[in-house]
Amino acid sequence: MLAIQNLAVDIQGSLILRGISLEVGPGELVCLVGRNGAGKTTTFRTIMGYLRPVSGTIGFRDKSLVNLPTYRIAQLGVGYSPEESQVFADLTVAENIELPTWTRKGGRPAKERIDLAYDIFPKLRQYAHRDGDQLSGGERKMVSIARALALDPQLLLLDEPFEGLSPAIIPSIIGGIASIQKLGHGILMAESNVHHIPEFADRIYVLERGEIIYQGKPGDTYPPEVMKVVTGGA
Amino acid sequence: MRTAVGVLVLASLAALFALPSVLSAYYITLVLPAVAYAIALLGFNLLFGYTGLLSFGHALYVAVGAYGAAVLSSKLGIKSFELVLLLSGAAAVAAAIPVALLSVRYEKIFFGILTLAFGMLFHSFLFKFYDITGGDTGIRVLRPSLFGNEFKDLDKTAFLVGPFYYYCVGLLAVLGFVMWRIVHSPFGLHLVASRENRRKSEYLGVRVRFFRLIAFSISAFYCAVGGAILAINTGQADPELAYWTHSGELVFMAVLGGFANFFGPLVGAFTFIFLKSELMGITQFWRFWLGLTLIVIVVLFPRGLVGLGQDLWTRLHRQ
Repeated sequence: MLAIQNLAVDIQGSLILRGISLEVGPGELVCLVGRNGAGKTTTFRTIMGYLRPVSGTIGFRDKSLVNLPTYRIAQLGVGYSPEESQVFADLTVAENIELPTWTRKGGRPAKERIDLAYDIFPKLRQYAHRDGDQLSGGERKMVSIARALALDPQLLLLDEPFEGLSPAIIPSIIGGIASIQKLGHGILMAESNVHHIPEFADRIYVLERGEIIYQGKPGDTYPPEVMKVVTGGA
Repeated sequence: MRTAVGVLVLASLAALFALPSVLSAYYITLVLPAVAYAIALLGFNLLFGYTGLLSFGHALYVAVGAYGAAVLSSKLGIKSFELVLLLSGAAAVAAAIPVALLSVRYEKIFFGILTLAFGMLFHSFLFKFYDITGGDTGIRVLRPSLFGNEFKDLDKTAFLVGPFYYYCVGLLAVLGFVMWRIVHSPFGLHLVASRENRRKSEYLGVRVRFFRLIAFSISAFYCAVGGAILAINTGQADPELAYWTHSGELVFMAVLGGFANFFGPLVGAFTFIFLKSELMGITQFWRFWLGLTLIVIVVLFPRGLVGLGQDLWTRLHRQ
Protein backbone atom coordinates (compact mmCIF):
# COMPACT_ATOMS: atom_id res chain seq x y z
CA MET A 1 0.00 0.00 0.00
CA LEU A 2 2.74 2.42 1.01
CA ALA A 3 6.16 1.66 -0.41
CA ILE A 4 9.09 3.98 0.22
CA GLN A 5 12.39 3.29 -1.49
CA ASN A 6 15.79 4.89 -0.95
CA LEU A 7 14.21 8.11 0.21
CA ALA A 8 16.69 10.92 0.80
CA VAL A 9 15.58 14.31 2.13
CA ASP A 10 17.66 17.40 2.62
CA ILE A 11 16.66 20.30 4.86
CA GLN A 12 18.69 23.46 4.32
CA GLY A 13 21.81 21.67 3.27
CA SER A 14 21.87 18.82 5.75
CA LEU A 15 20.76 15.36 4.77
CA ILE A 16 18.04 14.36 7.24
CA LEU A 17 16.99 11.11 5.59
CA ARG A 18 19.74 9.05 3.97
CA GLY A 19 17.99 6.58 1.74
CA ILE A 20 15.36 4.88 3.85
CA SER A 21 13.06 2.15 2.59
CA LEU A 22 9.93 0.87 4.28
CA GLU A 23 6.59 -0.68 3.53
CA VAL A 24 3.10 -0.68 5.01
CA GLY A 25 0.48 -3.14 3.82
CA PRO A 26 -3.32 -2.99 4.22
CA GLY A 27 -4.36 -3.72 7.81
CA GLU A 28 -0.80 -3.53 9.02
CA LEU A 29 0.46 -1.55 11.98
CA VAL A 30 4.03 -0.51 11.32
CA CYS A 31 6.10 1.44 13.83
CA LEU A 32 8.94 3.79 13.12
CA VAL A 33 11.10 3.99 16.23
CA GLY A 34 13.85 6.49 16.81
CA ARG A 35 15.12 9.25 19.05
CA ASN A 36 14.19 12.88 18.66
CA GLY A 37 15.86 14.18 15.55
CA ALA A 38 16.23 10.77 13.95
CA GLY A 39 13.99 11.77 11.05
CA LYS A 40 10.56 10.37 11.96
CA THR A 41 8.62 13.60 11.50
CA THR A 42 10.66 14.38 8.37
CA THR A 43 9.56 11.04 6.95
CA PHE A 44 5.91 11.92 7.56
CA ARG A 45 6.21 15.43 6.19
CA THR A 46 7.85 14.08 3.07
CA ILE A 47 5.10 11.51 2.56
CA MET A 48 2.60 14.37 2.89
CA GLY A 49 4.40 16.38 0.23
CA TYR A 50 5.39 19.17 2.57
CA LEU A 51 9.07 18.39 2.00
CA ARG A 52 10.49 17.38 -1.37
CA PRO A 53 12.85 14.41 -1.50
CA VAL A 54 16.28 14.70 -3.12
CA SER A 55 15.96 11.16 -4.40
CA GLY A 56 13.93 8.03 -3.88
CA THR A 57 10.32 7.08 -4.45
CA ILE A 58 7.12 7.12 -2.43
CA GLY A 59 4.42 4.88 -3.86
CA PHE A 60 0.88 4.77 -2.52
CA ARG A 61 -1.44 2.22 -4.11
CA ASP A 62 0.70 2.18 -7.28
CA LYS A 63 0.75 5.98 -7.53
CA SER A 64 3.76 8.15 -6.90
CA LEU A 65 3.24 10.80 -4.23
CA VAL A 66 6.44 12.68 -5.03
CA ASN A 67 5.78 16.23 -6.25
CA LEU A 68 2.06 16.14 -5.55
CA PRO A 69 0.71 19.07 -3.49
CA THR A 70 -0.13 18.28 0.15
CA TYR A 71 -3.88 18.63 -0.21
CA ARG A 72 -3.90 16.16 -3.14
CA ILE A 73 -2.07 13.57 -1.09
CA ALA A 74 -4.63 13.95 1.68
CA GLN A 75 -7.45 13.65 -0.85
CA LEU A 76 -5.91 10.44 -2.24
CA GLY A 77 -6.50 8.88 1.18
CA VAL A 78 -3.50 9.50 3.41
CA GLY A 79 -4.62 10.70 6.84
CA TYR A 80 -2.02 12.42 8.99
CA SER A 81 -2.16 13.22 12.67
CA PRO A 82 0.90 15.37 13.35
CA GLU A 83 2.75 15.47 16.65
CA GLU A 84 2.47 19.16 17.48
CA SER A 85 -0.77 20.87 18.60
CA GLN A 86 -3.29 19.45 16.22
CA VAL A 87 -6.77 20.83 16.72
CA PHE A 88 -8.24 23.95 15.14
CA ALA A 89 -8.98 26.16 18.14
CA ASP A 90 -11.58 28.25 16.33
CA LEU A 91 -13.64 25.26 15.24
CA THR A 92 -15.69 23.04 17.52
CA VAL A 93 -14.74 19.40 17.99
CA ALA A 94 -17.62 18.42 15.71
CA GLU A 95 -16.45 20.83 12.99
CA ASN A 96 -12.87 19.62 13.35
CA ILE A 97 -14.00 16.06 12.71
CA GLU A 98 -16.39 17.04 9.93
CA LEU A 99 -13.81 19.07 7.97
CA PRO A 100 -12.18 16.13 6.14
CA THR A 101 -15.56 14.89 4.92
CA TRP A 102 -15.81 18.09 2.87
CA THR A 103 -12.31 17.99 1.47
CA ARG A 104 -12.48 14.37 0.40
CA LYS A 105 -15.74 13.29 -1.14
CA GLY A 106 -16.64 9.89 -2.44
CA GLY A 107 -16.31 6.53 -0.81
CA ARG A 108 -18.48 6.12 2.22
CA PRO A 109 -21.09 8.75 3.16
CA ALA A 110 -19.98 11.55 5.46
CA LYS A 111 -22.22 10.52 8.34
CA GLU A 112 -20.81 7.02 8.42
CA ARG A 113 -17.26 8.38 8.46
CA ILE A 114 -18.03 10.80 11.29
CA ASP A 115 -19.83 8.11 13.32
CA LEU A 116 -16.88 5.81 12.87
CA ALA A 117 -14.49 8.46 14.17
CA TYR A 118 -16.67 8.91 17.26
CA ASP A 119 -17.04 5.15 17.71
CA ILE A 120 -13.27 4.83 17.98
CA PHE A 121 -13.10 7.58 20.60
CA PRO A 122 -16.60 7.59 22.19
CA LYS A 123 -15.50 10.13 24.81
CA LEU A 124 -15.40 12.80 22.12
CA ARG A 125 -19.18 12.79 21.74
CA GLN A 126 -19.47 14.67 25.04
CA TYR A 127 -17.14 17.37 23.76
CA ALA A 128 -18.63 17.73 20.29
CA HIS A 129 -19.71 21.33 20.75
CA ARG A 130 -16.67 22.57 22.61
CA ASP A 131 -14.15 24.74 20.87
CA GLY A 132 -10.80 23.17 20.07
CA ASP A 133 -8.96 25.31 22.60
CA GLN A 134 -11.00 23.99 25.52
CA LEU A 135 -9.58 20.47 25.40
CA SER A 136 -6.87 18.74 27.37
CA GLY A 137 -3.79 17.34 25.64
CA GLY A 138 -5.20 13.82 25.54
CA GLU A 139 -8.51 14.97 24.13
CA ARG A 140 -6.74 17.00 21.46
CA LYS A 141 -4.78 13.92 20.48
CA MET A 142 -8.00 11.95 20.14
CA VAL A 143 -9.61 14.68 18.04
CA SER A 144 -6.55 14.76 15.84
CA ILE A 145 -6.64 11.00 15.23
CA ALA A 146 -10.43 10.97 14.86
CA ARG A 147 -10.20 13.78 12.33
CA ALA A 148 -7.53 12.01 10.30
CA LEU A 149 -9.82 8.97 10.38
CA ALA A 150 -12.84 10.94 9.14
CA LEU A 151 -10.86 11.53 5.94
CA ASP A 152 -11.65 7.84 5.32
CA PRO A 153 -7.97 7.16 4.66
CA GLN A 154 -6.51 3.89 3.45
CA LEU A 155 -3.33 4.85 5.23
CA LEU A 156 -3.03 6.63 8.55
CA LEU A 157 0.15 8.35 9.70
CA LEU A 158 0.36 8.88 13.45
CA ASP A 159 3.26 10.94 14.74
CA GLU A 160 3.97 10.07 18.39
CA PRO A 161 0.34 9.56 19.40
CA PHE A 162 1.30 9.03 23.07
CA GLU A 163 3.66 11.96 23.39
CA GLY A 164 2.96 14.06 26.48
CA LEU A 165 -0.10 12.07 27.50
CA SER A 166 -0.87 10.78 30.97
CA PRO A 167 -0.40 6.99 31.18
CA ALA A 168 -4.08 6.71 32.11
CA ILE A 169 -5.22 7.81 28.68
CA ILE A 170 -2.74 5.79 26.59
CA PRO A 171 -4.81 2.55 26.70
CA SER A 172 -7.80 4.29 25.11
CA ILE A 173 -5.60 5.59 22.28
CA ILE A 174 -4.08 2.10 21.83
CA GLY A 175 -7.61 0.69 21.77
CA GLY A 176 -8.47 3.23 19.07
CA ILE A 177 -5.46 2.24 17.01
CA ALA A 178 -6.39 -1.44 17.29
CA SER A 179 -9.90 -0.82 16.03
CA ILE A 180 -8.60 1.31 13.13
CA GLN A 181 -6.31 -1.56 12.16
CA LYS A 182 -9.22 -4.01 12.24
CA LEU A 183 -10.97 -1.87 9.62
CA GLY A 184 -8.21 -2.79 7.19
CA HIS A 185 -6.46 0.57 7.21
CA GLY A 186 -2.68 0.59 7.11
CA ILE A 187 -1.08 2.52 9.96
CA LEU A 188 2.40 3.97 10.13
CA MET A 189 3.16 5.18 13.62
CA ALA A 190 6.21 6.99 14.96
CA GLU A 191 7.37 6.45 18.51
CA SER A 192 10.50 7.33 20.42
CA ASN A 193 10.17 4.69 23.09
CA VAL A 194 9.94 1.02 22.16
CA HIS A 195 8.06 0.23 25.37
CA HIS A 196 5.11 2.26 24.13
CA ILE A 197 4.70 0.20 20.99
CA PRO A 198 1.55 -1.92 21.01
CA GLU A 199 2.46 -5.62 21.04
CA PHE A 200 0.13 -6.24 18.10
CA ALA A 201 2.34 -4.17 15.78
CA ASP A 202 3.28 -6.09 12.64
CA ARG A 203 6.72 -4.64 12.12
CA ILE A 204 9.09 -2.10 13.54
CA TYR A 205 11.75 -0.06 11.80
CA VAL A 206 14.42 1.60 13.89
CA LEU A 207 15.55 4.94 12.53
CA GLU A 208 18.81 6.52 13.62
CA ARG A 209 20.36 9.61 12.06
CA GLY A 210 18.31 9.27 8.92
CA GLU A 211 19.03 5.59 8.33
CA ILE A 212 17.07 2.46 9.10
CA ILE A 213 19.42 0.42 11.30
CA TYR A 214 17.08 -2.38 12.23
CA GLN A 215 13.91 -4.05 11.08
CA GLY A 216 12.00 -6.66 13.05
CA LYS A 217 9.01 -7.55 15.17
CA PRO A 218 8.06 -6.16 18.57
CA GLY A 219 9.18 -8.42 21.38
CA ASP A 220 12.30 -9.55 19.51
CA THR A 221 15.55 -9.39 21.38
CA TYR A 222 17.19 -6.33 19.91
CA PRO A 223 20.92 -6.06 19.29
CA PRO A 224 22.60 -3.76 21.85
CA GLU A 225 23.14 -0.83 19.49
CA VAL A 226 19.42 -0.86 18.75
CA MET A 227 18.52 -1.16 22.45
CA LYS A 228 20.45 2.03 23.10
CA VAL A 229 18.25 3.89 20.64
CA VAL A 230 14.84 2.40 21.16
CA THR A 231 14.40 2.77 24.92
CA GLY A 232 14.21 6.49 24.51
CA GLY A 233 17.65 7.05 26.00
CA ALA A 234 16.67 5.49 29.35
CA MET B 1 -27.94 35.14 22.66
CA ARG B 2 -28.76 33.82 19.21
CA THR B 3 -32.34 35.14 19.23
CA ALA B 4 -31.08 38.43 20.67
CA VAL B 5 -28.75 38.80 17.67
CA GLY B 6 -31.60 38.03 15.26
CA VAL B 7 -33.86 40.60 16.91
CA LEU B 8 -31.07 43.18 16.87
CA VAL B 9 -30.38 42.60 13.16
CA LEU B 10 -34.06 42.91 12.21
CA ALA B 11 -34.45 46.00 14.40
CA SER B 12 -31.40 47.65 12.81
CA LEU B 13 -32.73 46.92 9.34
CA ALA B 14 -36.15 48.31 10.25
CA ALA B 15 -34.46 51.40 11.69
CA LEU B 16 -32.47 51.88 8.48
CA PHE B 17 -35.67 51.66 6.44
CA ALA B 18 -37.44 54.09 8.77
CA LEU B 19 -34.61 56.65 8.87
CA PRO B 20 -35.71 58.83 5.91
CA SER B 21 -38.97 59.64 7.66
CA VAL B 22 -37.08 60.76 10.79
CA LEU B 23 -33.84 62.30 9.60
CA SER B 24 -33.21 65.20 7.26
CA ALA B 25 -31.93 64.63 3.74
CA TYR B 26 -28.46 65.74 4.83
CA TYR B 27 -28.14 62.87 7.27
CA ILE B 28 -29.48 60.37 4.77
CA THR B 29 -26.72 61.35 2.34
CA LEU B 30 -24.39 60.43 5.20
CA VAL B 31 -26.08 57.09 5.90
CA LEU B 32 -25.82 56.18 2.23
CA PRO B 33 -21.99 56.01 2.19
CA ALA B 34 -22.13 54.14 5.50
CA VAL B 35 -24.36 51.55 3.80
CA ALA B 36 -21.89 51.42 0.89
CA TYR B 37 -18.95 50.87 3.24
CA ALA B 38 -20.91 48.29 5.20
CA ILE B 39 -21.30 46.26 1.99
CA ALA B 40 -17.65 46.71 1.06
CA LEU B 41 -16.58 45.66 4.55
CA LEU B 42 -18.68 42.50 4.47
CA GLY B 43 -16.36 41.47 1.65
CA PHE B 44 -13.22 42.91 3.16
CA ASN B 45 -13.80 41.02 6.38
CA LEU B 46 -14.28 37.69 4.62
CA LEU B 47 -10.62 38.08 3.76
CA PHE B 48 -9.43 39.82 6.94
CA GLY B 49 -11.53 38.39 9.78
CA TYR B 50 -12.32 34.93 8.43
CA THR B 51 -9.33 34.14 6.22
CA GLY B 52 -6.77 36.02 8.29
CA LEU B 53 -5.35 37.95 5.33
CA LEU B 54 -5.03 41.69 5.96
CA SER B 55 -5.18 43.56 2.69
CA PHE B 56 -3.90 47.11 2.53
CA GLY B 57 -5.06 47.51 -1.04
CA HIS B 58 -8.77 46.87 -1.11
CA ALA B 59 -9.58 50.46 -2.04
CA LEU B 60 -8.52 49.26 -5.50
CA TYR B 61 -11.73 47.21 -5.83
CA VAL B 62 -13.87 50.00 -4.37
CA ALA B 63 -12.39 52.21 -7.09
CA VAL B 64 -13.01 49.59 -9.79
CA GLY B 65 -16.66 49.59 -8.72
CA ALA B 66 -16.82 53.40 -8.79
CA TYR B 67 -15.07 53.74 -12.15
CA GLY B 68 -17.14 50.84 -13.46
CA ALA B 69 -20.30 52.77 -12.60
CA ALA B 70 -18.78 55.90 -14.16
CA VAL B 71 -17.67 54.32 -17.43
CA LEU B 72 -20.83 52.26 -17.84
CA SER B 73 -23.18 55.17 -17.14
CA SER B 74 -21.50 58.15 -18.78
CA LYS B 75 -19.43 56.52 -21.54
CA LEU B 76 -21.45 53.46 -22.52
CA GLY B 77 -24.89 54.79 -21.66
CA ILE B 78 -25.89 51.82 -19.50
CA LYS B 79 -28.56 52.97 -17.07
CA SER B 80 -29.68 49.83 -15.30
CA PHE B 81 -28.16 49.79 -11.81
CA GLU B 82 -28.47 46.00 -11.65
CA LEU B 83 -26.34 45.70 -14.79
CA VAL B 84 -23.88 48.29 -13.46
CA LEU B 85 -23.45 46.30 -10.23
CA LEU B 86 -22.98 43.00 -12.04
CA LEU B 87 -20.53 44.37 -14.61
CA SER B 88 -18.45 46.44 -12.15
CA GLY B 89 -18.45 43.50 -9.77
CA ALA B 90 -17.26 41.24 -12.56
CA ALA B 91 -14.57 43.78 -13.48
CA ALA B 92 -13.40 43.83 -9.86
CA VAL B 93 -13.22 40.03 -9.80
CA ALA B 94 -11.25 40.11 -13.07
CA ALA B 95 -8.87 42.66 -11.53
CA ALA B 96 -8.63 40.66 -8.32
CA ILE B 97 -7.71 37.30 -9.81
CA PRO B 98 -4.20 38.17 -11.06
CA VAL B 99 -3.46 40.08 -7.83
CA ALA B 100 -4.80 37.21 -5.74
CA LEU B 101 -2.90 34.57 -7.74
CA LEU B 102 0.32 36.21 -6.64
CA SER B 103 -0.67 37.45 -3.17
CA VAL B 104 -2.31 34.33 -1.72
CA ARG B 105 1.03 32.55 -1.99
CA TYR B 106 2.03 34.76 0.94
CA GLU B 107 0.65 35.56 4.37
CA LYS B 108 0.83 38.29 7.00
CA ILE B 109 2.97 41.34 6.19
CA PHE B 110 4.03 40.01 2.78
CA PHE B 111 0.41 39.67 1.73
CA GLY B 112 -0.34 43.15 3.10
CA ILE B 113 2.56 44.79 1.28
CA LEU B 114 1.78 43.07 -2.01
CA THR B 115 -1.84 44.19 -1.95
CA LEU B 116 -0.69 47.70 -0.98
CA ALA B 117 1.65 47.76 -3.97
CA PHE B 118 -1.07 46.71 -6.38
CA GLY B 119 -3.39 49.34 -4.91
CA MET B 120 -0.79 52.04 -5.52
CA LEU B 121 -0.18 50.81 -9.05
CA PHE B 122 -3.86 51.19 -9.80
CA HIS B 123 -3.97 54.64 -8.23
CA SER B 124 -1.11 55.80 -10.48
CA PHE B 125 -2.93 54.36 -13.47
CA LEU B 126 -6.09 56.32 -12.62
CA PHE B 127 -4.07 59.44 -11.91
CA LYS B 128 -1.77 59.44 -14.94
CA PHE B 129 -3.79 57.99 -17.80
CA TYR B 130 -5.74 61.16 -18.27
CA ASP B 131 -7.38 60.20 -21.56
CA ILE B 132 -8.91 57.03 -20.21
CA THR B 133 -9.58 57.88 -16.58
CA GLY B 134 -9.92 61.66 -16.52
CA GLY B 135 -6.87 61.98 -14.26
CA ASP B 136 -7.37 63.83 -11.00
CA THR B 137 -10.87 65.03 -11.95
CA GLY B 138 -12.09 61.51 -12.58
CA ILE B 139 -15.28 60.63 -14.45
CA ARG B 140 -18.82 61.75 -13.90
CA VAL B 141 -21.35 59.14 -12.78
CA LEU B 142 -24.88 59.44 -14.09
CA ARG B 143 -27.97 58.55 -12.16
CA PRO B 144 -28.93 54.92 -12.80
CA SER B 145 -32.34 53.36 -13.20
CA LEU B 146 -33.56 50.98 -10.51
CA PHE B 147 -35.40 47.90 -11.81
CA GLY B 148 -35.88 49.84 -15.05
CA ASN B 149 -37.46 52.82 -13.31
CA GLU B 150 -35.69 56.16 -13.91
CA PHE B 151 -37.60 58.33 -11.39
CA LYS B 152 -37.43 61.29 -13.78
CA ASP B 153 -39.78 63.39 -11.64
CA LEU B 154 -37.33 63.37 -8.70
CA ASP B 155 -34.36 65.75 -8.42
CA LYS B 156 -30.92 64.39 -7.59
CA THR B 157 -31.18 64.58 -3.80
CA ALA B 158 -34.74 63.28 -3.73
CA PHE B 159 -33.61 60.31 -5.83
CA LEU B 160 -30.61 59.58 -3.58
CA VAL B 161 -32.40 59.84 -0.25
CA GLY B 162 -35.54 58.19 -1.63
CA PRO B 163 -35.59 55.16 -3.92
CA PHE B 164 -31.80 54.82 -4.18
CA TYR B 165 -31.42 54.76 -0.41
CA TYR B 166 -34.06 52.05 0.04
CA TYR B 167 -32.52 50.08 -2.80
CA CYS B 168 -29.09 50.17 -1.16
CA VAL B 169 -30.41 49.18 2.26
CA GLY B 170 -32.18 46.26 0.57
CA LEU B 171 -28.92 45.38 -1.16
CA LEU B 172 -27.11 45.44 2.20
CA ALA B 173 -29.70 43.06 3.64
CA VAL B 174 -29.44 40.64 0.69
CA LEU B 175 -25.64 40.72 0.43
CA GLY B 176 -25.37 40.49 4.22
CA PHE B 177 -27.54 37.37 4.21
CA VAL B 178 -25.48 35.84 1.39
CA MET B 179 -22.24 36.57 3.28
CA TRP B 180 -23.73 35.07 6.45
CA ARG B 181 -24.39 31.88 4.51
CA ILE B 182 -20.90 31.95 2.98
CA VAL B 183 -19.04 32.23 6.30
CA HIS B 184 -21.17 29.52 7.89
CA SER B 185 -20.84 27.11 4.97
CA PRO B 186 -18.14 24.43 4.77
CA PHE B 187 -16.27 26.88 2.53
CA GLY B 188 -16.22 29.47 5.33
CA LEU B 189 -15.02 26.90 7.84
CA HIS B 190 -12.23 25.90 5.44
CA LEU B 191 -11.13 29.54 5.48
CA VAL B 192 -11.22 29.71 9.27
CA ALA B 193 -9.26 26.46 9.56
CA SER B 194 -6.60 27.64 7.12
CA ARG B 195 -6.39 31.02 8.89
CA GLU B 196 -5.23 29.26 12.01
CA ASN B 197 -2.68 27.03 10.39
CA ARG B 198 -2.17 26.70 6.69
CA ARG B 199 -0.10 23.54 6.74
CA LYS B 200 -2.34 21.76 9.20
CA SER B 201 -5.38 22.30 7.00
CA GLU B 202 -3.50 21.14 3.90
CA TYR B 203 -2.74 17.90 5.73
CA LEU B 204 -6.50 17.42 5.86
CA GLY B 205 -6.93 18.01 2.17
CA VAL B 206 -7.92 21.70 2.20
CA ARG B 207 -6.89 23.49 -1.02
CA VAL B 208 -5.73 26.55 0.89
CA ARG B 209 -4.52 28.71 -2.01
CA PHE B 210 -7.56 27.99 -4.13
CA PHE B 211 -9.99 28.79 -1.33
CA ARG B 212 -8.12 31.99 -0.53
CA LEU B 213 -8.30 32.98 -4.19
CA ILE B 214 -12.08 32.50 -4.12
CA ALA B 215 -12.38 34.49 -0.86
CA PHE B 216 -10.29 37.28 -2.39
CA SER B 217 -12.53 37.40 -5.47
CA ILE B 218 -15.73 37.49 -3.41
CA SER B 219 -14.31 40.31 -1.29
CA ALA B 220 -13.41 42.27 -4.44
CA PHE B 221 -16.98 41.87 -5.70
CA TYR B 222 -18.45 43.24 -2.47
CA CYS B 223 -16.01 46.16 -2.47
CA ALA B 224 -16.98 47.01 -6.05
CA VAL B 225 -20.67 47.07 -5.14
CA GLY B 226 -19.84 49.45 -2.28
CA GLY B 227 -17.73 51.55 -4.65
CA ALA B 228 -20.52 51.85 -7.22
CA ILE B 229 -22.92 53.12 -4.54
CA LEU B 230 -20.33 55.64 -3.29
CA ALA B 231 -19.75 56.94 -6.81
CA ILE B 232 -23.45 57.37 -7.53
CA ASN B 233 -23.88 59.15 -4.20
CA THR B 234 -21.18 61.72 -5.03
CA GLY B 235 -21.83 61.69 -8.78
CA GLN B 236 -18.13 61.30 -9.41
CA ALA B 237 -15.47 58.57 -9.55
CA ASP B 238 -12.12 60.08 -8.64
CA PRO B 239 -8.66 58.57 -8.07
CA GLU B 240 -8.69 59.34 -4.32
CA LEU B 241 -10.98 56.32 -4.02
CA ALA B 242 -8.02 54.12 -4.95
CA TYR B 243 -5.49 55.91 -2.76
CA TRP B 244 -3.82 53.80 -0.06
CA THR B 245 -5.24 55.92 2.77
CA HIS B 246 -8.66 54.81 1.59
CA SER B 247 -7.54 51.18 1.97
CA GLY B 248 -6.41 52.18 5.44
CA GLU B 249 -9.89 53.48 6.22
CA LEU B 250 -11.36 50.07 5.38
CA VAL B 251 -8.94 48.49 7.86
CA PHE B 252 -9.82 51.21 10.40
CA MET B 253 -13.54 50.49 10.13
CA ALA B 254 -13.05 46.75 10.50
CA VAL B 255 -10.88 47.18 13.60
CA LEU B 256 -13.15 49.85 15.09
CA GLY B 257 -16.22 47.64 14.91
CA GLY B 258 -14.35 44.40 15.63
CA PHE B 259 -13.22 42.10 12.84
CA ALA B 260 -13.64 38.95 14.93
CA ASN B 261 -17.41 39.30 14.73
CA PHE B 262 -19.60 39.06 11.64
CA PHE B 263 -21.39 42.33 12.44
CA GLY B 264 -18.34 44.19 13.74
CA PRO B 265 -17.28 45.75 10.41
CA LEU B 266 -20.86 46.89 9.76
CA VAL B 267 -20.95 48.67 13.11
CA GLY B 268 -17.48 50.02 12.31
CA ALA B 269 -18.60 51.44 8.96
CA PHE B 270 -21.52 53.37 10.45
CA THR B 271 -19.54 54.59 13.46
CA PHE B 272 -16.59 55.68 11.34
CA ILE B 273 -18.65 57.67 8.85
CA PHE B 274 -20.51 59.54 11.58
CA LEU B 275 -17.49 60.01 13.78
CA LYS B 276 -15.55 61.40 10.84
CA SER B 277 -18.27 63.79 9.70
CA GLU B 278 -19.01 65.02 13.24
CA LEU B 279 -15.31 65.52 14.03
CA MET B 280 -14.78 67.33 10.74
CA GLY B 281 -17.59 69.68 11.72
CA ILE B 282 -16.11 70.39 15.14
CA THR B 283 -12.40 70.63 14.56
CA GLN B 284 -9.84 70.77 11.82
CA PHE B 285 -7.76 68.32 13.85
CA TRP B 286 -10.22 65.52 13.14
CA ARG B 287 -7.44 63.23 11.96
CA PHE B 288 -5.81 63.54 15.37
CA TRP B 289 -9.01 62.49 17.15
CA LEU B 290 -9.64 59.62 14.72
CA GLY B 291 -6.09 58.40 15.33
CA LEU B 292 -6.59 58.65 19.07
CA THR B 293 -9.83 56.66 18.80
CA LEU B 294 -8.02 53.91 16.94
CA ILE B 295 -5.28 53.76 19.58
CA VAL B 296 -7.84 53.49 22.38
CA ILE B 297 -9.72 50.74 20.52
CA VAL B 298 -6.62 48.69 19.76
CA VAL B 299 -5.14 49.00 23.26
CA LEU B 300 -8.26 48.78 25.43
CA PHE B 301 -10.88 47.06 23.26
CA PRO B 302 -9.07 44.88 20.74
CA ARG B 303 -12.36 43.17 19.89
CA GLY B 304 -13.78 46.50 18.79
CA LEU B 305 -17.14 48.06 19.59
CA VAL B 306 -19.02 44.81 19.08
CA GLY B 307 -16.64 43.02 21.46
CA LEU B 308 -17.25 45.78 24.00
CA GLY B 309 -21.00 45.35 23.55
CA GLN B 310 -20.72 41.58 24.04
CA ASP B 311 -18.79 42.07 27.29
CA LEU B 312 -21.45 44.47 28.60
CA TRP B 313 -24.17 42.02 27.61
CA THR B 314 -22.57 39.10 29.49
CA ARG B 315 -21.94 41.31 32.51
CA LEU B 316 -25.59 42.42 32.59
CA HIS B 317 -26.82 38.86 32.32
CA ARG B 318 -24.59 37.57 35.07
CA GLN B 319 -26.20 39.90 37.58
